[in-house]
Amino acid sequence: MSDLALSPRKPAAPLNGYRIVQSISVFVIALVVISPLFMLFIASLKDDRFQILADMGSFRAFWVDNPTLNNFREVGNFAGELAFGRYLGNSLLILFSTVSLGLIINSMAGFILAWGSLPGRALILSLIIALYVIPQESIIMPLLIIVSRAGLSDTFTAQILPFVASPLYTFLFYQFFAQLPKELYEAASIDGASIFRTWWSIFMPLSLPALATVSILMGIEAWNQYLWPILITQTDYARPISVAIATFFGQDSIFWDRAMAASVLMMIPILVFYLAFQRWFISSFVGSAVKG
Amino acid sequence: MSALTIPPKRRRRSIITRVGWPRFLQEIGMLAPAVVLMTVFLITPFLLSFWTAMTNQPLVPRPTPVRFVGFNNFLRILSDDLFWTSLWNVTRFTLWVLPVQCGLAFLTALILNQKLPFRNLFRGMFFLPAITSMVVVCVIWGTLFQYPTGPLNQILASLSGGHIQPIDWLGDPNWAMFSIVLLSAWQAYGFQMIIYLAGMQGIPDELYDAARIDGAGRWGRFWHVTMPGLRPTHVFVLVITTIQAFKLYTQVAILTQGGPKSSTETVVHYMVRAGFEEQKLGYASAVSVILFLIVLVIALIQRRLMRRFDV
Repeated sequence: MSDLALSPRKPAAPLNGYRIVQSISVFVIALVVISPLFMLFIASLKDDRFQILADMGSFRAFWVDNPTLNNFREVGNFAGELAFGRYLGNSLLILFSTVSLGLIINSMAGFILAWGSLPGRALILSLIIALYVIPQESIIMPLLIIVSRAGLSDTFTAQILPFVASPLYTFLFYQFFAQLPKELYEAASIDGASIFRTWWSIFMPLSLPALATVSILMGIEAWNQYLWPILITQTDYARPISVAIATFFGQDSIFWDRAMAASVLMMIPILVFYLAFQRWFISSFVGSAVKG
Repeated sequence: MSALTIPPKRRRRSIITRVGWPRFLQEIGMLAPAVVLMTVFLITPFLLSFWTAMTNQPLVPRPTPVRFVGFNNFLRILSDDLFWTSLWNVTRFTLWVLPVQCGLAFLTALILNQKLPFRNLFRGMFFLPAITSMVVVCVIWGTLFQYPTGPLNQILASLSGGHIQPIDWLGDPNWAMFSIVLLSAWQAYGFQMIIYLAGMQGIPDELYDAARIDGAGRWGRFWHVTMPGLRPTHVFVLVITTIQAFKLYTQVAILTQGGPKSSTETVVHYMVRAGFEEQKLGYASAVSVILFLIVLVIALIQRRLMRRFDV
């Protein structure tokens, strides 16, 4: 009875069998989840590619005696055979263009669907929800025809434009905007704000959780594209880093030291991106999608 | 004539008079980019895939005209043993990955949903594999799977005192798909974990308090409050994981190329090989239509189940 009067969150329980099991399982899961990533970072700092593999089975995988950035120097060029600097730049360009265009275009559409006055909005909305079922993989072959007939093969445009507008993100924005109070919208129109202004200066600043969620989801998607760039890029010009790293596997024996350094290069930007947005992300993510 | 044109005219006039031209044009301008892009890059290729699937369209244009071949591509796919192997393989993959990935996600979410020191740190940390690119995951697990002296084999050997023979994780047809399951589950479970966390936080605390008053223990609360409350979440998680699993491609293309002995051939890998390497775009489009139908059926099942649970 007394603990009912307290807030729903109880103070930490005393140490008992249950809590010990709980702590051990968190620790084990953390070990399984994190140690491979940690190993990757450590290995990328080791110079000797044979030592990397030899160290892997022991605790030496988690320790490096004399860390060196040689591997990064070797792969980080902007031209030549190991031009991962260039591939990284390409991927960053694709990431930022896709996400920034995507945030604007999908949120504008979501806003009009939620608060606009155009006839047929309900129809467009249900069409968009239906489109969500189509997997990217199942349209990729005809998309290849369209994009290459348009003369866009081996360009950045071909890797950005098709993925900017998305049924899922338009719907997420629609859902977020629709649950904001009506008074907000009415106050803006009484003040004589245009609908564009209402979207940009009233609703967008209030949409940080939605913006963060869509940014992270779109960012991960754009950063990790693999199949599409393989089909559409033929030269280094617009090749993203994911495709470049995969070429390590085509060789007879893999240069693990270089592959590890290139992988770390690929992880760092998305890690920064994630850490910047994750505060809003975890709280808002798919709380909405589960309902929908 | 005037009688025919009145209804649309009147409707159009009513929205213009209601909101005025500037606003009407602004709304069109704000909605159009998304609608146009989705039409060009989603609806058109989708509709085109049904047409291309019935032709012998090659990847690179040839002087000979493209011929309409009806359902020939579909018939050839359905009589190709490799296609059935790939379909069976993704089914096998799904049956493995569902319990491993969703189970891990569910357990982790259960633990993280309780009061725990550094809970938010763990939550952010457990999501890290999900932001890691599949290519990087392949580099990491490619080293872990090394045969015969890779880390996983060494761990197995030392745990069993040398009794377990080293496993050729990616080279043995009996193990290759299971290895793909392991790395896929490791990479993607963070998403399911967050969906479960969201679902668990949606269960009102009052239900737990009520159960406690009724004398329910930890297990009783779990079975009679948590599990029923998570029913829609379970359906959602199972369905998106199944759809994801049927689209299995990247890790297979990088690590095994469908081998050894086609034991990791998947539907998407089969499609890309036909369309890109063998340049038979019509054939590949037919595979993509089949893939779409599979995903559609799964999504329809989800809708049925969700509706039942939402009541």
